[in-house]
Amino acid sequence: MQSLFGRSLHIRTIDTGSCAVCESEIRLLAAPHYDLHRLGFFFTPSPRHADLLLVTGPAVRAFDQAVKKTYLAMPEPKIVVAVGACPLGGVYSEDAFVHGSLEEVLPVDVFIPGCPPSPLALLQGLLVAVGRLAEKVDALSFVDDEAGTGEW
Amino acid sequence: MSREIEASRYRANDGVEYLRVGMAEVEGVVEDMTKAGTRLADLFGSMEDEELVIRLVYGREPEPSYAVVQWPVRGGGYPPLSEVAPAAFVEECEIYEQFGLKCSGAKGLNRLVVPPHAAPDFPRLAHRPGRQAPPPHAPHYVTGEAIEFPVGPVRGVGQESLYMGLVTSGEELIDLYLMVWHKHRGIERRLQQLRPQQALFLVERAEGLSAVGNSWAFCRAVESITDVMVPEAVERTRAVALEFERIYNHAASLAALCQATSLTVGQAQAEVALEELLRLNAAAFGHRYLFGVLAPGGVTRGPDVGVIRERFTMAVDELRRVAAALRSTNSFMDRVEVCGVVSIDDARRLGLVGPVARGSGQDLDTRRDHPYGAYRDCRVEVPVRTAGDCLARMEVILAEVETSAALVTELVQAGLRAGSVDLPPAAGAALGWCESPRGESLVWVSLDREGRIRRARLRPASARNWRAFDDAARSRNVFTDIPIIEASFWLTVAGFAR
Ligand code: SF4
Repeated sequence: MQSLFGRSLHIRTIDTGSCAVCESEIRLLAAPHYDLHRLGFFFTPSPRHADLLLVTGPAVRAFDQAVKKTYLAMPEPKIVVAVGACPLGGVYSEDAFVHGSLEEVLPVDVFIPGCPPSPLALLQGLLVAVGRLAEKVDALSFVDDEAGTGEW
Repeated sequence: MSREIEASRYRANDGVEYLRVGMAEVEGVVEDMTKAGTRLADLFGSMEDEELVIRLVYGREPEPSYAVVQWPVRGGGYPPLSEVAPAAFVEECEIYEQFGLKCSGAKGLNRLVVPPHAAPDFPRLAHRPGRQAPPPHAPHYVTGEAIEFPVGPVRGVGQESLYMGLVTSGEELIDLYLMVWHKHRGIERRLQQLRPQQALFLVERAEGLSAVGNSWAFCRAVESITDVMVPEAVERTRAVALEFERIYNHAASLAALCQATSLTVGQAQAEVALEELLRLNAAAFGHRYLFGVLAPGGVTRGPDVGVIRERFTMAVDELRRVAAALRSTNSFMDRVEVCGVVSIDDARRLGLVGPVARGSGQDLDTRRDHPYGAYRDCRVEVPVRTAGDCLARMEVILAEVETSAALVTELVQAGLRAGSVDLPPAAGAALGWCESPRGESLVWVSLDREGRIRRARLRPASARNWRAFDDAARSRNVFTDIPIIEASFWLTVAGFAR
């Protein structure tokens, strides 16, 4: 992680209809007991600085646009982590209010189960996500295809 | 009061007085109640045999009783209640959104939980036949020197989605309005047709941070209908869970207050206390947020009393240390004093509950005023402050931590037990109440003959107290005060939008 992201990976959170408890656990990630900064994770209020989107809630349909806009505003490579039973469809079944599964709206890379997942489970999930992000980085081509193959 | 009204008065299983009136008498009854200073606690609709019935719930403190006034709506409209009782406005909007019924001569109504881009068939609690989708809600105009500054709906780290329209002329806040439809999950609608045992799962998740408070109110309503008596030691277990919930919420509110005032050291300390309390919840009851502890008819798990004896005082002491440190930090006290004032008048007029009301001179607490369960045998001290600012609310929650701690010790000593009574099938309706960390939580349940829910009305304290947020924010505050006010209210959007 240190070598990949220059010791920092930025997280943006978004709530798509949670019960407020997953938010509480996410806030505690930065508290002394867990201190996610020591692992090189940081929260950012801006999606444009974010590498990772941490999503709670069952994907309320009325919120689709905001979710998509946030996701699109993030630079590549990016990764989506779904927090809790809600985005897995375990709390609300799919209906006119919610999608049920977050995957209907966003390409989810990692699901962290639990209702709520404890901060330790969240940390574990974040570390798994880092691995997935590393794969995405590896797959990226750092050669600008458009620029041709001019020798220099 | 006329003789017919007297004749339709009866006291039910839940100890609540029911008053059936006709459309013509409603206005008079509401006026009488308001004049007598009775507190309007809720207003909601329910479809019964193709007919819309509206109910008003009154709390008659200091008298230990609730009164429910109900009438069937025949022909369109009902009298504009918010003109006499301003506390009713939000619910008038709600009845319009959910049932398509406006009170007669209604002024502009606000949007609550139906999204602006909702299709005509967006699910509501009822569609009145032959009606079109409600026309657009009251437009919001900002003119003159002021501008509107939108915040949200996607907000800061670990914050719930909420849209705040801040109207400002520069720095000072002139007006503020909220939109919460991003979080509407249609819980009341989902509850219909479920059995109470199944429904509890969703009731807890309507507002997870008040899971015990709301589900206890729900359980009490169901137990009144089915006439189930919960053993005393089991009721005490519930009360311990509720006091645990109150203490961790107050710790969380304190941490949020520190964060909002950029007091990182204080925040870290409060979060240490919060984490200890959550771990204690998990060790004693098996869940950090106490989900799944209550069940209709009893509790599913008995707490580990040894763990409570061993760790409870330590965890609360941690919180006490934070409180003492904050009280002697002038830069902190300066920020919370005279910030976000809710006047005593507003608190009464808007029918606020919980620490927000108690910080504004309202001496209300259902544990003392409408004793239930284990609180029948306990003396509950109710701290009240009158300044109505963030400091007053903080003082109230700190004092409540002490009363909760004393209650826990008392309850544990009296003995706790797990276990639940099976619910016999029964039809009927009843009101349940409970003092959640955010204040009075009300649940009205109606069961059909198969014991399924016909209508469950959830009214968490958050649904009530947000209506004072704009008043508090407006009172001579600047932008940066808003997070402080929000932390001191400590409400959830989830509970409001449901
Ligand atoms: S997963 Fe559970 S705890 Fe998290 S928001 Fe959903 S209901 Fe609440």
